[in-house]
Amino acid sequence: MSRPVFLLGAGAHPWGKWPDAPQVQLALHALRAALGDAGLGWRDVQGLVAASSRFEGGMGWGLHANEIVQLVAEQGIACVNVGGACAAGAIAFSTAHAMIASGQYDVVAAVGAERMPKGFIPRPPGSQDDIGDEDYLRWVTMGATNPAYWAIEARRRMHDHGTRPETFARAAVLMRSNAAGNPYARFRQPSTVAEVLASPLVADPLHLLEICPVSDGAAAVILVSHEIARRCGGRPVEVAGCAIASGAFGDPARRIPTISATVRPGVTHTSEVAGAVERAMSIAGIGPADVDVLEMADNTAWHLLAWPELFGMHAPGESDHLLETGKLAIGAGRLAINPSGGFLSFGEATTAQALMQVCEIAWQIRGEATGRQVPDARVGMTAVLGLGANGGSVILKR
Amino acid sequence: MPAAVSVVAGLFEEGPGGLRLLATRCTSCDTLYFPRRPTCRNPACETKAVEDAQLPRDGTIHSFTIQRYQPPAMFRIDDWKPYAIGVVDLGAGVQVMGILEGVAFDELAIGMPVRVTGRTLYRDPEGLDVRTFAFVPGGSEAA
Repeated sequence: MSRPVFLLGAGAHPWGKWPDAPQVQLALHALRAALGDAGLGWRDVQGLVAASSRFEGGMGWGLHANEIVQLVAEQGIACVNVGGACAAGAIAFSTAHAMIASGQYDVVAAVGAERMPKGFIPRPPGSQDDIGDEDYLRWVTMGATNPAYWAIEARRRMHDHGTRPETFARAAVLMRSNAAGNPYARFRQPSTVAEVLASPLVADPLHLLEICPVSDGAAAVILVSHEIARRCGGRPVEVAGCAIASGAFGDPARRIPTISATVRPGVTHTSEVAGAVERAMSIAGIGPADVDVLEMADNTAWHLLAWPELFGMHAPGESDHLLETGKLAIGAGRLAINPSGGFLSFGEATTAQALMQVCEIAWQIRGEATGRQVPDARVGMTAVLGLGANGGSVILKR
Repeated sequence: MPAAVSVVAGLFEEGPGGLRLLATRCTSCDTLYFPRRPTCRNPACETKAVEDAQLPRDGTIHSFTIQRYQPPAMFRIDDWKPYAIGVVDLGAGVQVMGILEGVAFDELAIGMPVRVTGRTLYRDPEGLDVRTFAFVPGGSEAA
């Protein structure tokens, strides 16, 4: 069986660097806010799905949900802890959704919380130092950082579509402009194209201000059955579709951390994300033109141009023109991209990021995104990518 | 010439004829994999039996970047300075990432013919040259 699922509560801890707040404290802050938004308490929660961190907490075994319930509510809550790297939040959402859609539970929370180590994301412990570990290979053989992978894609776009350095910079400027109105974003100072182009080149053609840094943050949602949504009042938003996917054979994308690709003609680029988006749209019964607001993983300015084209919202190469003519700004065109300010303005708090995207879409659909509201947003979508070729997408509608 | 060792075993071999990247070929669907893999990930392939193979030496630059910041300490290299990394299309459906050298940054171009070679990353405390693979201009346009 499958039954409708509603998002009843959304909550987050602002993004930043929080050295004095342990990861679990950030998680509890987000959950408290989400429960408050839903008008529910811990006594109502039947299931908790945590996007597990590799960096901190979880009793060392990724048991973040168990850690949380042992702090606040020992009442037999079903605890699920999911991996998925930067897509873990979307996988947590999808799991919580399935627990309710199946009829097994009526109130399930999904949470992601992260405090990131400084600098380039390091190789987590527990892997082998040999030819079987791609992450080991990319470091020792060529020192390829994550920005190097994205820069290689950006350079190729310049070749294929004539994208100019100023256009990448403009995408970064748009994110800062959107973030100015968002109290959850970390970087809210407006920027200019000249300022972005004057920031240090990290990996040509990408500058420091065109690449997302890392941050600390947490986000949570409360999903419920129709019966609970009706009984509680509040402001439920229907989950129109959600899906997760892994990659397709022959995908031409530079998949971090691999050092080679087996490329086959006709295979979609970043197929794990495009596949999840396509499936979520199919479940929701909508097409790309129906989406009013998109929250997508902008690890770099390149992603902001490339991904809406992958999802069919823009024609290949069309993003540049839409951006340069101001059509991607909030309220200016058919589709608003990352009204939250995106990863470029948040800094990525890996496992929390996809749930922050869902929170933002929920606030947009309810018309509560003060300072960054997309006028009359009715259909909103998230899209995220995680290590290991994990993709996830959530669609909410009014 | 000091003795040399590969930075990781099983990735490539250096001999009098130059450097060869060590690959796996699926005996059923002919797909090439680098580095070597125990099986075939083509979902249309049923048998998934693989054998050792070597990659072509010559290819063309698919795209590239200049890495301006020093990577984390796991990447050991003597006399670090900004360097180019590229994706090289070797034909046969395989694209390989690697250090690009022997060409000025502003002369790097998509489509440039390159050939795989070996290069020393650093000399270890025992005096061994620790080597990796890299790509330099050359090779044939045919790749």
